[in-house]
Amino acid sequence: MPDKITHDDLMRFLDGELSPDEHARVQAAIASSTELAREAAIYRAVKSSFQGISFHPGTYHRSVWDGVNQNLTRPIGWILTIAGAAVWAAYGVWVFVVSPVEPWEKLASGAVVIGILALLASVIWERYREWLTDPYRDIQR
Amino acid sequence: MQPDLERELIRKCKAGDARFYEPLVRAYEPSGLRLATGMLGNLDDARDALQDAFVKAFEALHRFDMRRPFGPWFFQILRNHCRDMLRSRQARFKLETLDENLELRPADAEKGPERARQRSAASELLWRALEKVGFEHREILVLKELQGFRYNEIAQILDIPEGTVASRLFHARRALRDALDGMAVELP
Repeated sequence: MPDKITHDDLMRFLDGELSPDEHARVQAAIASSTELAREAAIYRAVKSSFQGISFHPGTYHRSVWDGVNQNLTRPIGWILTIAGAAVWAAYGVWVFVVSPVEPWEKLASGAVVIGILALLASVIWERYREWLTDPYRDIQR
Repeated sequence: MQPDLERELIRKCKAGDARFYEPLVRAYEPSGLRLATGMLGNLDDARDALQDAFVKAFEALHRFDMRRPFGPWFFQILRNHCRDMLRSRQARFKLETLDENLELRPADAEKGPERARQRSAASELLWRALEKVGFEHREILVLKELQGFRYNEIAQILDIPEGTVASRLFHARRALRDALDGMAVELP
């Protein structure tokens, strides 16, 4: 590499990032140095190797917008649904507790509800443990 | 997209209305997909990365500086997400579906199937070489050669001083040249 022309200068020259004066200086240096001319030719060839790749706009048939939109709006839907369900559940429990029915009826109904919730929780826990030990869980489609 | 329109859309998005995000997504989707595909090597992972990056960008809009353009800021998020995906083993740099999804330039089709086949073989070699050079070199090559960004934009996206872009490009190109040499691809 001749004096004063650095590799950075050469990159800027090839990428059109030099001022006209600097560009002319590097161009003159390349014209006067076989070594620099060869180096410039190599990196020009490396740059041009990318010209074989082109993304045609028609390639993208499906936009990611639907997925983005779902991700942005779905959490709000879940929050509202869960909050509403929690309020109704709390209200239902309160109405059930203060209702004038026999205590054994309350105990029996409570046992049914708690039993269903316990079964549901155990199934979820089992699935979660299966997922943790699944050797193929990192494999992408 | 006009800067004024872009700023107006971002202002409305910042107010929480996701409907105004759609034009931004559609405007930056093609270049974002090109960037992510270049970094991850396949369209499936690139689409996932792009979608996640758009969601992250929307959630981070309150930190966005309205005096700056959206593009480089978004591409920085996308680049970081691609890097995180590769680090967390959610994605590898995979090339198996690339050729089916990349199209050759229309001019190649006009020059006949033999020219197209040569182009396809050359592009496959290039992708394999890009796989070899590693993420650090690949990202700057993708930003410069596939995206055509100027040095100041690359510096912004990679969060590095503009003065180091040329140096990083030199090392990346040298690594790519060595990788191509290793695959017996002739350069001058």
